[in-house]
This record gives sequence, structure tokens and C-alpha cells, in this order.
Amino acid sequence: MNNKLGVYICHCGGNISDYIDVEKVRQSVENEEGVFLAKTTMFACGDSNQKEMVEDIKNNHLDGVVVASCSPKLHLLTFRAVTERGELNKYNYVHANIREQASWAHSDDKAGATEKAIHIVKAAIAKVRFAESLVPIKISSIKSVAVIGGGVAGMKAAIELSDLGCQVYLIEREYFVGGRVSQWDSLFTTNETGKELVTRLYNDLVKQKNITVYTGAEVISNSGNIGDFKLKIKITPRYIKAKCNQGELQNAIDVCPVEVPDDFNFNITGRKAIYHNFPSEYPQSPVIDIKNCTRCGACEKICENVDFTQKEEIMDINVGSVLMATGFDPYTPADGEFGYNSFDNVITLPQFKRIIDLSNEKLTFKGREIKNIAYIYCVGSRQVEGENKYCSRYCCTSAIHAAIIAKKKFLNIYNFHFTRGIRTYGKQEVLYDESSRMGDIYLQSYENDPPVVTGRNDKAVVRINDILTGKREMEVEADLVVLVTGMVPRKDNSVGSLFKLPKGRDRFFNEIHMKLRPVETVIDGITISGACQGPKNIMETANSALSAAAKSYSYVSKGELELEPIIARIDKDLCTWCNACAQACPFNAIEMEEGKTKNVASINNSACKGCGMCLPVCPTDAINLIAYSNNEIESMIDALAG
Amino acid sequence: MIMQEQIKDASYDVLVIGGGIAGGEAALNLANNGFKVLIVEKDLSIGGKMILLSKVFPTLDCSACITTPKVSEISRHPAITIFTGSEVKKIVKIAENSFEADVLRYPRYVIAEECTGCQLCEQACPVIVKDEYQFNLVGRKAAFIPFTIASPKVAAIDIENCTLCGACEKVCPPKCIDFTQEKEEYRIKVKSVIIATGFKLFDPLLMPRYGFGLYKNIITSMQMERQLAPTRPFNTILRPGDGKVPCKVAYVLCTGSRDATIGNPVCSQICCMYSIKQAQLLMGALPMADVTIYYLNIRSFGKGFEEFYEQAKGMGVNFIKGKIGKISELENGNLKLRYEDINENKVKESEHDIVVLSVGVIANLDTATFFSEQQLKLDSFNFINQTDPLASPARTSINGVFVAGTASGPMDIPDSILSAGSASSEAMCYLIQKK
Amino acid sequence: MVDTGKKNARILVFSTEKISDPAIDMAGLLKLHYPPTIYAISIPCSSGVKPKWILHAFEKGFAGVFIAADGSDCPYGESCTEKTGKIVSTTHELMKQKNIEPARLRMAAICSVCSESFVKQMKSFNENLLKMQGA
Repeated sequence: MNNKLGVYICHCGGNISDYIDVEKVRQSVENEEGVFLAKTTMFACGDSNQKEMVEDIKNNHLDGVVVASCSPKLHLLTFRAVTERGELNKYNYVHANIREQASWAHSDDKAGATEKAIHIVKAAIAKVRFAESLVPIKISSIKSVAVIGGGVAGMKAAIELSDLGCQVYLIEREYFVGGRVSQWDSLFTTNETGKELVTRLYNDLVKQKNITVYTGAEVISNSGNIGDFKLKIKITPRYIKAKCNQGELQNAIDVCPVEVPDDFNFNITGRKAIYHNFPSEYPQSPVIDIKNCTRCGACEKICENVDFTQKEEIMDINVGSVLMATGFDPYTPADGEFGYNSFDNVITLPQFKRIIDLSNEKLTFKGREIKNIAYIYCVGSRQVEGENKYCSRYCCTSAIHAAIIAKKKFLNIYNFHFTRGIRTYGKQEVLYDESSRMGDIYLQSYENDPPVVTGRNDKAVVRINDILTGKREMEVEADLVVLVTGMVPRKDNSVGSLFKLPKGRDRFFNEIHMKLRPVETVIDGITISGACQGPKNIMETANSALSAAAKSYSYVSKGELELEPIIARIDKDLCTWCNACAQACPFNAIEMEEGKTKNVASINNSACKGCGMCLPVCPTDAINLIAYSNNEIESMIDALAG
Repeated sequence: MIMQEQIKDASYDVLVIGGGIAGGEAALNLANNGFKVLIVEKDLSIGGKMILLSKVFPTLDCSACITTPKVSEISRHPAITIFTGSEVKKIVKIAENSFEADVLRYPRYVIAEECTGCQLCEQACPVIVKDEYQFNLVGRKAAFIPFTIASPKVAAIDIENCTLCGACEKVCPPKCIDFTQEKEEYRIKVKSVIIATGFKLFDPLLMPRYGFGLYKNIITSMQMERQLAPTRPFNTILRPGDGKVPCKVAYVLCTGSRDATIGNPVCSQICCMYSIKQAQLLMGALPMADVTIYYLNIRSFGKGFEEFYEQAKGMGVNFIKGKIGKISELENGNLKLRYEDINENKVKESEHDIVVLSVGVIANLDTATFFSEQQLKLDSFNFINQTDPLASPARTSINGVFVAGTASGPMDIPDSILSAGSASSEAMCYLIQKK
Repeated sequence: MVDTGKKNARILVFSTEKISDPAIDMAGLLKLHYPPTIYAISIPCSSGVKPKWILHAFEKGFAGVFIAADGSDCPYGESCTEKTGKIVSTTHELMKQKNIEPARLRMAAICSVCSESFVKQMKSFNENLLKMQGA
């Protein structure tokens, strides 16, 4: 039992002390059994308090430390490190959360919050009395990383990791890498095209010796953990031999009788069941879309490179860390939302960008020349009724940029922007200026008064009560209505569920802490980057990809990782080996050990993850989890009940 | 004998210029991966602007709670050396992986290793000057600790204002005040450089029609930030003119941003959000107060930002889409705002008892002077030019020199941290590849 | 044995470090209020709660025990939901033997962003427990 405890109660500036009588908490706990000193502090995490704690621990030979402050998610590690600097094993530290779970949760009831804080601190004191010195378990970590998603985020991260000396597996679900950016033409701010950027990255990628790229590939299972993820990858074949002759290929495409909507062009055009997306996408090898292929054999007759004998493959790979870069989907408007699917000249922003790219000389859509274009902003973002409350961040700039490109590329284009307040943040503001100077018209609607799209003759009419001209009703007869659609999480995000990644309120993957740990997830060893975490433009995506790469690298760079020694422990006297624990263990960490008088259970320390699933099934109560033993939990209950 | 000026040599893997949140994050990433880092910080404490903030949007985490442990980790890290109160004078690139930097360390007149931060010198010092760390809201002494959570928490003597009376020397228990300290010059050899020099706040004196400096009850958003911070100068919110607790607060957004007439056409990216945050904190601190935000467009674009904006509206913060023409002072110290109400297309007037100017982000021009033999290119707004903004946002016009945080343009804290991660990642590759 | 006569019922919550703790923390961050007589003990996984701990809490005067289960989000595997369910049914049996109403032990899956649902659960559980005390 630890008997010389130091207890520190934090004001957290005022975050705690505005609602909790911190001094009263201190007085209520200073005479608890084992408490040697109890102090309050303005900022427990501040440098000066940390120094004071180190001195206290050393000078008084404290054997247990409690800090009552914010959530342990933020500072458990900080104070474990302080404890260690005081030359006390860091597992003799217990954290009490009196901010998120007391001062903030009960800011409406100061007396209640104070009373609760007292009990929480007493429970922590009760627990730390049982704390023991532990040595972290060391495991080896494989110096390789799986990057999931081959868009710009994934490619950038893969190159970085490879430069740093890791083996990298880049796993792309589609048959081509480059993701969304390969579908864009000119990019803000550089006017480089999407295909140029992707080409540049792809050339870097293939130069690297230690990157393996899998396309048409999906992770179908994972049975490992940080340091050693065991992934199964399903690779669907292209049904085309590795080296193929481009000339024959075009003939093969020509004879294919199947035509399906081309999702590369967001369905505004069609493609065959055998297709390629040259020159925008890599690898530059065609593919047979086997789901839509009728196996008529026409292509096979013309082109010897078609190979229907190729089989689906399952690969096993081992990696130390997984970096998620699965990107986003553009929002698909509901039928009738601003005339979508009701009028045939209402399209989305991504479709519009493809039309600009595909049109030459004249901007045409469905055979008609386009002159007047109406842009309706915030479609699928900042929804008042729908569930997408968030702003999609990139769309204002992207729409204005597309409008400028259309105006520069084609004659007689008139742009009318129906906005909810333009958000060209930062230096993107100059683009908004440029577009205004070029004569684009900006109209702004009230929050509760969105523009209405109706039909007249063969044109769509957009009507708005414009704020900027004093609520006048304005009407634009448009040849084309562009719905400025935002970003939504991938429709098929099953790979996230496979790794059990938590999602935020916006349904994108969630980081641990936006400022402290922005690319880490609660699942150890898995980092997130790019738009799978939330809307981002390309530059922000590159920054987050590089940050995530550095973090994933840090998990694998040393070849060794320290794991928490919080594992199950068998009381061999009580154990009668009934096998119930071994059956309950999801990690096969419990085995039978033959003893002299009886057989007992034994824990494999590096396989045990410390979940505790074996505890309740033991008929003789012979298993305890370190740091969560009967003594600890029951004495905490006593303290909380008292 | 005359003191011989001596140039000291030292070498590190990476020189990080600026010890704010971006520089600190980059330094930590590098140090944790085994590289030796020198941080050169101009101020007396690391932590940059973030350590002085109240709470951060959109989570309302207290800023100090996030910054201080980082700062503490940085200052303790065995692979990180920190020079505070120091300036980079000149950097020359000799070859790939080889830079030479001249760094000047200004004397603190206190032996930092021996100072216990007891503040007795502060009590003894008879000189009172404006406290720049509280943005001139209150005074400080000439012998002073910059602020409570400063790192290092060590006293310094402001020699410009010191009268050399010796009062501090007499009371200092470890006798660590030392007026004989001199400037020290260092010639530092490094393999790579990260520039994280941050930004400057727009100076509203440049917009005389707002009357800042003339009317006492007009303050900047940073002054309000200090009043709301845990280490605040007063225990409540006061207007400076007469110490009255304000009840009608106005925020003027885009002060010094999106305004070609004062030479800054770009949006500062953070002012909407920090103003909305301050408005929410004010509603908490002064439940009876009316808070009005005059805006052109609200730019709540980041993760959780739009929801935060909606939350402020729900709490009763008034948002008026309006352009401020002129601010004038009334006899009772209140302020009259003349503005164009864009929604109603009318010129209107309103009275407030305190006006907060939400000042924007301006480039820190210090960076322009670092390199003399190579050209470190700036963009048209004097931020550091990103030569490959889409694929490698941290790269600059000099190979081996990377930029982190707001030195390349306005950004919020999460973006600064990601940008620092990106810069440190590129620097690591540069160091490993060129080995 | 159970606590009576107070305005709010004393409730012990078993929450989990990776999944339900973040939700409870976020409830605080968002200042979604719930009775301050609700206390959380965090453990790695909800399928590791021993029935004897729950009984101990009732003995010591808690009016109710709530298991904030990982549900399908459990980082330790899919069997968590079923195993946690089994703990609850086993404990319900033990409670009956000791004349404790089974309704005093509740379980619900609380995901890492289920702050509102957590607060709703707490308020309704609190009210139900108060009613049971009144009855």
C-alpha cells in the first residue's frame, strides 16, 4: 500500500475554480489516509507546477501522486512523465477528472460540482494506494506502413514515408490512383492541372523502391494491433495483361457493346465496360469493369492482351501502422433539391468542372451552348433542415475558380452567384476580388429564404430575394444551374468500421484532439489525413498527409514500441483451469499451464491487450486486471459512495 | 581591459526560428525523431501568441491548458536548445545540408539558471511601464517576469527603462541579477532551417476613422483576449476609459483585412472565429451584456466552426451584416457607430459602451532580412512564398529551408499545427536523404 | 440498503476509456448538464465489469448502476456487446436473490460522440430511480 501520497488540485485558470471550491476540495482530502501533502495550483500542467511536483516527489519520497484536473485524455501522460522525473515509477500516478466530469458538466450547480469533485479525488486517492510500479511491455514494431487511399493525400504520405525509410503499401480501391484531384482541371492557386499534379506525384511514387502500389484493392480484415497489424487485402484483377499495346486496346474499347455512366466524369458521359482514363489516371493500363461486362468476348477477339483467366487474389501484409487517406464523396443532391433531376440543366459543381474540361471552343451541355450560368452555393452544406450542419470549406473558392476558368476559356459567359456569404478565407480572397472585377454578379439570400429554381420554356429560372440589393426579388434565366455541392464522407466507409475508427458529429473520421493530436485516432497506430477527416483543400490535405506520415513514422521508426503493462494477471492459487477465460479472450492470450498439483491459466504478456473480458467469466474470481483489481475498483466505489 | 567580443560556435541539425506554437510543434517532432534542434525566439518566453489567449475555438478548451504542457515538453526536451530574447541576424547557405546562422542573444541581466521566479525583484522595482504582454492594459515593472505561465519563468531587466537603482539586486535571494551581462554573438552551423516567425497583428492606428488611440473605450481583440484569459489583468471585463463593466459590446470585423485601402486585401481567416468565441465568453462573463458583431461575411469554415457560429446565434449574440463607416465618441465615453446595414440597405447608427476591433493578420517582415546571399522569396502580401503550395506546402525558394505556421499566410491553430507537422516532416526527409 | 431521501439518485457509471469516456467528457465540454450525483469509474472495456463490483456498489448505497457499453465500437472485438449483455443478465439474477430491483442496473451502448444520448439516459435513469424510491 502506498502511504505517502501527493495530491494536486488544479484551478485550470478558472475552468475548474469558477465552479468548484478548489480549496474546499483540498481541505476535504488532505486528511485522507496516506495523503502526505495536498496542494492547489493555478495550472497543474504549467512548467512551474511540474517543477514543484518533481521536487515534492523527490524531497519527500512520495510513493503515489494524484492530480485532479482535466480529462486524462489530455494530461495523463504529462503527469506520468512528471512522476517519472520525480524518480517514482510512472504507474504510481492516478488522474482525477474534475473538469469535463465535474466543473463543466455541473457548471449549473456549484455545490453539487464541488461535492462530486471531492468524491472523485477521494476515489483517485483510494486507487493510487494500491498502485504498483510496473515496467512497460516492449514489442517489436514492423518498419512498414499501409496507406489506405491513393489520392493526393495517400500518394504524398507514401512518398514521405518511403523517403524516411519505411516499407509502404499503398492500397487503392479504384483501378487508378490520383483520387478526386485527377478529376479536376486547373487548380487554385497554381493553375497546375489536377492531372499534372497527379502525374508529378505518381512519377515520384514509382521512383521509390520501397512502395508497393495495389489498385483495385481493398482491406478485408485486420487481426493485429499497433506495431503489427495483420491485414488481408483483396485484389481484383484488371483482366488485362501487364504489358499491352495501346493501338489494339482502342479497337477493343470500340467493339465493346456495353455502355455505362462514366463516374470519372460524374456520369455526364458514358464509358465502355473496358476503359481507361488516360491521360489523367495512373497506372496507365486499362481495366475491364467486370461487374458490367457481359463476357461477350468481342474485345478478346481483337486484343490479345485481354485475359479473363486472371483471378481475384488475397494478400496478407504486416505493417506497424496504418495511415488512412480515403478522401470524400461530393454531396449528391436529393431529387428536386434546387431542381436537381427535375430540370435537365441542373448539375453539380464536380459535373460542371468536367464539362469545362471536356468542352472546346464553346461551353456546351447536352448539345446546347451555355451562356448564363447560375451557381447555387452551400448545397449539402450548412443545412438548416438536413444533417450536414458543417461548412464544406473548399466549395466557395472552387466554384469561383471554376466560374473564372469558364469565363476565360469560353466567350460570352455570364456568371450569377447565389451565395450565403462567400467564404474565400485567407489569400483565396484575391480570387473573389478577381471574379468581381471580371463582372460576375453576386447575390446573397437570407438564411431562411433560399433561392428557388423553377422552369420556363427550356430554361431553369433561379429566383432570389437578394440581401445585397435590399431584398429585391431577382431572377436569372440560366442555361445551366450549377449546384455548388460540398464534401460528404465516403458512401462506403466500411474500411473505417473495419478499423473501428470513431466518427465525429459530421460523420467524418475523428482525430483525438484537434490541436494536441490532430492526426491520431483513438485506435493506437492508426493515423488519418486529408478529407476523410473533414473538408480540406489540396494544400491543407498535403499538410495533413505529411503530418500523418511523420506520426506513423514515429510508431515504426525505432523498430520497437512500448506498450502499457496493463494486462490480466492470474491468481494461481484460486485458478482451477476451466478454460472459460481462454474462450472469452479475443486475442488468444490465455493458455493452459501444467502445474505440479493442478493445471492453471497463464497469460501471454505480449498478446494480452488488457481488455478484461476474461475477468467476469472466471468462476473462482482468479483473474484481475492490473490497475483495475477488485481492491482498486471496490475501494473507489467505497470512496464514491461515502 | 575592454571585453573582447567573442563569437561562440555551436551546431545543430535544425534551426527553428520562432518559438510559437508552430515552431514548438516542428521542434518537438524533429527532436522526438532524434534530431538536434535550436529554437531562436525573439521574445522572453516561448509559446508565441497562443500562450496568451483565453480559450480556443471551437472546443473552448483553455488555451493555456493546451500550450503550457507543450511548452514544458519543449523546454525539457534533451534534444532541444532554446535561446529566448535572441535574434537571427543572418543566414548563409553554404551547400546542401550546410547553413551558417549568426544569432544574437540579448542579455537578460538575470542569471537564468539561478532565478527561482520568486518575483521579489518585481516588488522592489520602482519603475512602472506599460506591460506589452498584457497589450498595454496595465503596467509592469522594469524588473519583471513576462507573465505567470511564461517559459522560462525567469525574471528579466528591461534595461531601456531601468534606472539602475539597484533595488532588485538587494532583494534577490539567490543574488542572480547581473548588470554586467553583455550581448552574445553565436555562429551556428545547421543542416536545415524552419521558419516559424508567425504574424503581426494589424495596427488599428492606421485606420484613423475608427478612432483607436483617440477614444479610450476602443480596444483591440487581443486586449479583449487578455481580459478573458485565465491570467487576466483584472478579475472582470472593464472598459479602459473609466473602469466601468461594459454592457453593450460591439465587434468590428475585418479591421485591417479584406481592405485594399490599407494595403491588405486578404482575409485573415481567424478573426470571425475568435470574435465569435470572445462573444460567447463575454455572454458567460457578463450575463447581462449585449454583444453585437458587425460583419461582412462570417467565415466559419473549419471543423466544427459552423456549429460554433450557430451556437453563438443561439446564445443571443447579435450579428449585423454591416460596414462600419466611422466611430465617434460621446460625452459619457460611449461610442457611436455609423454603419451601412447591408440587409436593410440603410445607413444606421448605434451606441455601444465598448468597441472591440477584430484586427487582422499581417506578415512579419523580419523574415525578409534573414538571407542576404540567397533569395528567400515572399509572396505579394509579404508572407513567405510557398514554391509548391499544393504538393509540398512547406517548401520555400531555398532548398532546405521550410516554413511552418502563419509565416506563410493567415491560418488558425489547427492548421498551423498541421503545417508545422508538414514542415518538420519535409525537414526530416531533407536531412535523411542528404546524409 | 439503497440511498433514499436525496434530490437525485446516486448512480455509478462504468464507462470505457476509449469509447464512452470521450462521450461523457464531451457532455461536460458542451455543458450538457446531468445530476452531479452520477459518478464514473473508467475501465478499458465494458465486457470486463465483474458482477461483484456492481453488487458492491448497491451494498455501499448506490441507487443505480449504469454500464456505458462500448457496443459495436469496441476496439477489442465484436463479442463485446454480447459479453456485456451476459454480465448484465447474470447480475440481474444475483440482484433478484438479494432483493434488489433489476431495473437498478441498466446498460446502453454509448459511442464516443454519444454525449446527448448519455445525458438523456442519465436523466431518465435518475428519474426512474427516484420514482422507485418514491414507490
